[in-house]
Amino acid sequence: MTTTTQPPLKETSQSTMDVSVGPQHPGSGHVRLLMRVDGDYIVSIDPDIGYVHRGCEKIAEYRNYVSNIPHLERPCIIDAIHLNWAYVLPVEKLQGVTVPPRGKYIATIAAEMNRIMSHLYWLAINAGVFSGHTTIFMWAFGDRDLFIELAEWLTGARLTYSFLPPGGPRRDLPFGFEQKLTKLLDYFEKRLIEYDRVFFSNPLVVARAKGIGVLKKEDAIKLGVTGPVLRASGVEYDVRKVEPYGAYSDLDFRIPTFNAGDSYARFIVRLEEMKQSINIIRQALSKMPKGSIARKAPLVAPEGEAIGRVESSRGEITVMIIGDNSDKPYRVKIMNGSFRNLIALPYLIRNVHIADMPIIYGSLDYWPVEADR
Amino acid sequence: MTQTISAREETVINKTKSQFPQYIKETRIDSERRVTITFDEDHLQEIASWMRDDLGFDHLIGIAGVDYPTQKKIECLYLVASFSKPEFQDIILTLKAELARDNPSISSITSIWQSAHFHEREAFEMFGIKFEGHPDLRKLLTLDNWEGPPPMLKDIKFPEMGQR
Repeated sequence: MTTTTQPPLKETSQSTMDVSVGPQHPGSGHVRLLMRVDGDYIVSIDPDIGYVHRGCEKIAEYRNYVSNIPHLERPCIIDAIHLNWAYVLPVEKLQGVTVPPRGKYIATIAAEMNRIMSHLYWLAINAGVFSGHTTIFMWAFGDRDLFIELAEWLTGARLTYSFLPPGGPRRDLPFGFEQKLTKLLDYFEKRLIEYDRVFFSNPLVVARAKGIGVLKKEDAIKLGVTGPVLRASGVEYDVRKVEPYGAYSDLDFRIPTFNAGDSYARFIVRLEEMKQSINIIRQALSKMPKGSIARKAPLVAPEGEAIGRVESSRGEITVMIIGDNSDKPYRVKIMNGSFRNLIALPYLIRNVHIADMPIIYGSLDYWPVEADR
Repeated sequence: MTQTISAREETVINKTKSQFPQYIKETRIDSERRVTITFDEDHLQEIASWMRDDLGFDHLIGIAGVDYPTQKKIECLYLVASFSKPEFQDIILTLKAELARDNPSISSITSIWQSAHFHEREAFEMFGIKFEGHPDLRKLLTLDNWEGPPPMLKDIKFPEMGQR
């Protein structure tokens, strides 16, 4: 029951009780948190994951490189482009395929739209519902649908796009897409100000999230957390900057970083990331190169290992692929943000009120299906 | 693949080689920003803590098992990277240990990189690698009633999924 990150249980205490939260969908997927509580305090928790494990990595060894895309993006359908891209980058590396510039720009736009959609989902469920804020739930879900409609227009699917096979995206921007997206971004930018007024600056939200679940910078590094959780603890690290893929090396954007490390900082960092995503999409649209969008990629990958990584909405996704001269990978290993941030759950949810647990859990944006794969 | 290999990858390899000349079996620069070091599995603790403290590889991305039944070995790959050292920030260093397939075991690195806790539990369950010294080595992802062998081994086949 104890993990390395947990303090030893107080053995003398007669008043502790074990409570199981979940696995019936405590808010964002099936996970069970075994909590040991002492009155209103959580002494320790033990995350019990695996309820939505489907053996993605094993299945991937039975499918060829292209048919792996649809099922490998399923673990986190609200962030499908990033899962797709993280898998395709090492495949392209193994095959020696390069994507034409226009294809890279289109993929970047799709990925940043996906980041906004994923953060809006988080804002609606993990931040809004978990803190009892029904208004932001409705607003964020409503605005997310506008992005989903555009994504459907671009890719043909609302959530599970399978948009990036090796070689480049499947479709070019539809006629008139640019104008529609620009209009939506203008609208959404104004909405973010209202989000700020109604949610992020709301005294009730601030009171519930500020100073709760503090992850200090050195602990964040030690635990190896990633994504917004890491940047909310003051570590400026983003794969889009340190190892630019797609069109990110041409674009000018900043990495929002906060030093507080509490749940509120993790809230705000995602708000700022949405603003940066707007900025990135606008630049990508204005700099969009002409030309072809994709190159032909072989169906077979040679022997060798390749590692690719992208910055998804939940942190870095690193995929390692081992090829063996056939059309199927010998081994696919996915290391994603949710699984890496799992260690922060037992670390942060201890010696806190039971009522703070949903806020901390929500601020981590933990996605059980992605972690279980 | 035409890539320019910068000096940083060489630096990582040379420093490691000069620190542990007898424990390093093989080094390889896979491509730009990717370095693989195969080491003697008995000395993981020393190498890992030196990597963290002196080279600045302060976090673990993940642990991947790879099964090679024909060569009778299971490879245990530790992917590590650095947040705090600017010149190594974009490098992914793969530490590779080759374990005997009939009884794979290696010492746990949860005391060095805390995040190894769940990664080691996963590799234990999926490949049967025993991590000695892990505080809580038990199943993580599979069902409680799964009693078969570690499912990611190559000889565990699922014919209903197709040919492999």
